[in-house]
Amino acid sequence: MVTDRLGLVKEGGWLTVYLRPTNKAFVFRVKTRWNKGYETFNYGALPLESGDSMASYDGGTTSVPADGVIPARAYNSTGKSFPLSGALDETDMWYLTEDYGDRVFHVIQRLTPSFLRVDMQIPKGVSQGRFQRGKKIIGVESDFGFNRGEIETIHLPRMHYGYRWGNDTNMNLYTSVQFTYGEYVIEIPENPNLIFDVLVGKVPSHWVSLPICVYDRAISEALLKIYGIEGFPVYREDEKGKAVSEYAEIIRNLKR
Amino acid sequence: MGELLSLKGYVSGTGDYTLDSDLLYSTVTYVRMPKGLKAKIWCKRISGEAAEVKIQYTNDVTVATPTWKDLSVEKLASAGELVLEKRRPLVIHSITGKEAFKITRSSGTGDSYVEVEVEFE
Repeated sequence: MVTDRLGLVKEGGWLTVYLRPTNKAFVFRVKTRWNKGYETFNYGALPLESGDSMASYDGGTTSVPADGVIPARAYNSTGKSFPLSGALDETDMWYLTEDYGDRVFHVIQRLTPSFLRVDMQIPKGVSQGRFQRGKKIIGVESDFGFNRGEIETIHLPRMHYGYRWGNDTNMNLYTSVQFTYGEYVIEIPENPNLIFDVLVGKVPSHWVSLPICVYDRAISEALLKIYGIEGFPVYREDEKGKAVSEYAEIIRNLKR
Repeated sequence: MGELLSLKGYVSGTGDYTLDSDLLYSTVTYVRMPKGLKAKIWCKRISGEAAEVKIQYTNDVTVATPTWKDLSVEKLASAGELVLEKRRPLVIHSITGKEAFKITRSSGTGDSYVEVEVEFE
């Protein structure tokens, strides 16, 4: 098993972050789990402030009645981040600048009540839920395209992610969030054969598919700025020759 | 395991119990369930004056006058307490997202209280 009982990658394990629109992936080796042994953070209530306006499932908008309370039949149409005093960006605790290119956050967000809907925007403000390629936009505002109570992702540096929550009951609900997270110190391997073996599943890896359907320019810019590359194309097992030579070329552009 | 919600209700005379919980910011008289989930009622406690207590369900709470169906009826014959732990829960389905349940007192006078343990999954 690459992951431990918390669902986080063990030190020395492999993490693959897959980008659907480009069919590319990043292969990371988790050198260190910076917060090993202290992976749980009971954050508190959702960052909803009294008086905030939220969209209503019944049309129009509704107001947040008190801090941390999600109104009945409401969702936030624009994603929100989690503020944290003292963090690099105090409005977004998971945000890392490009100086932190050797780190990623593996974050599992658990909500109370666990029947709340949740999805995410990468980058913040760009909804990523799509059905039938791009025919229909889906997400917390829709009948599908969201999770309930839990969402897992990898926070890459230089990108603000936005979270959206929805309450389709008639109850104004107090909320809370628990994070199980790993602050991974990572490295990208420079052996094309090893990258190929990870991507075809010969080397066990924890595979996280980022919920990206729209490859926003902000994503590509961030990846190029941090890593110098946009990932490794994922090939079939019988395409090893082609893959390995392409990976060797990509590795030459890798920022170290 | 889903989310367990302890709902406490109060009514004076007959009518719908006003429901409250530690997770509720404001009270409700019915619970509209999250679409696609089930509500499992594991436990009922009725206390106060004598009461006939019904759990009622509607397929569509969004219409002007919902039609409520009885799902269970319990009687507290005289003032006191009735505790019903359900080894098999009362299960209520949400199919369209418009379904709701409520607890109502169909007969009795004076104050009546209910507590139910509801699991959403």
